[in-house]
Amino acid sequence: MKEIIAYLPFLIPIVAVELILAVTALVHVLRHENYRFGNRVIWIILVLFVSIIGPILYFTVGRGDE
Amino acid sequence: MRGYIAFTRKEFTEQIRTYKTLIMLAVFVVFGMMSPLLAKLMPEFLSSMAIEGVKITMADPTYLDAYTQFFKNITQMGIIVTLLVFSGCVSSEVTKGTLINILSKGISRSAVIISKYTASVTLWTLSFAAAAAVNYGYTAYLFGSHSTHNLLLSCLCLWLFGAFVISVTFFASTLTKGNYGGLLVTAAILGVLLMLNMMPESVRYNPVSLAANNMALLNNTVSTADMMAALGVTLVSTVLCLTVALCIFRKKIL
Repeated sequence: MKEIIAYLPFLIPIVAVELILAVTALVHVLRHENYRFGNRVIWIILVLFVSIIGPILYFTVGRGDE
Repeated sequence: MRGYIAFTRKEFTEQIRTYKTLIMLAVFVVFGMMSPLLAKLMPEFLSSMAIEGVKITMADPTYLDAYTQFFKNITQMGIIVTLLVFSGCVSSEVTKGTLINILSKGISRSAVIISKYTASVTLWTLSFAAAAAVNYGYTAYLFGSHSTHNLLLSCLCLWLFGAFVISVTFFASTLTKGNYGGLLVTAAILGVLLMLNMMPESVRYNPVSLAANNMALLNNTVSTADMMAALGVTLVSTVLCLTVALCIFRKKIL
């Protein structure tokens, strides 16, 4: 565990990028009503709890047309 | 030519607005940062998970482990993300019908495909270069300075494989109708290539070996000359895929 704390400065940027992706996707989910499939609840859960893959799936296959 | 430039510019704007730029850059930079760190911390993770009485001994990780992680991540998840991001590039505009307006204004159909390919490959190049640079920096910091054999060639091989995959998705999505047909056909083509890679005679010429031999190149178990045939074949098939895509797209009813 000690080692992991020692590498915290390296972990923070990774977590930051993941958060940026998740938040961008979350904002998009909340501001749009049409999804190609699934509903808002499913996408919020996917986007927030499946790191990296969730937001990517939302933007590539889940996002509806505007 | 003017049409080409205008359409390429439009493609870049579209990439930004559909979050393609964000996804590609974020994912690849994360891979670049994560891989050396994972290699460095792997013994810690394993020892913290060890059950009492069972002792897992591992050799100290070296920079080669970092590159193993890096190439594993990019060739698996990286290529899958690239496929997902670029698979709808041609087909979505065809199904939405947004191309009809632009084409009736006089931009040639070839310009559309070539612009889209230029924009896609540019984004792939940028993301891959960012990942490789971040990975190199982190590895140098965590494992000390190192000199590797053929690192540049190894990266070039993987880059060309990515460009090849994008050209295959373009070919596949001009061939099929709908949004997901292209993705399926591309997956099928890659699957066939992967299976072919199990036959020892075909490995020399198989594009998949460009994404499979990266570590072997760094370890010097595969020589530079061995990769030349695969590089050549991949380059020719990339051009071929694009040419066929152009021919089909010119005759496609929109």
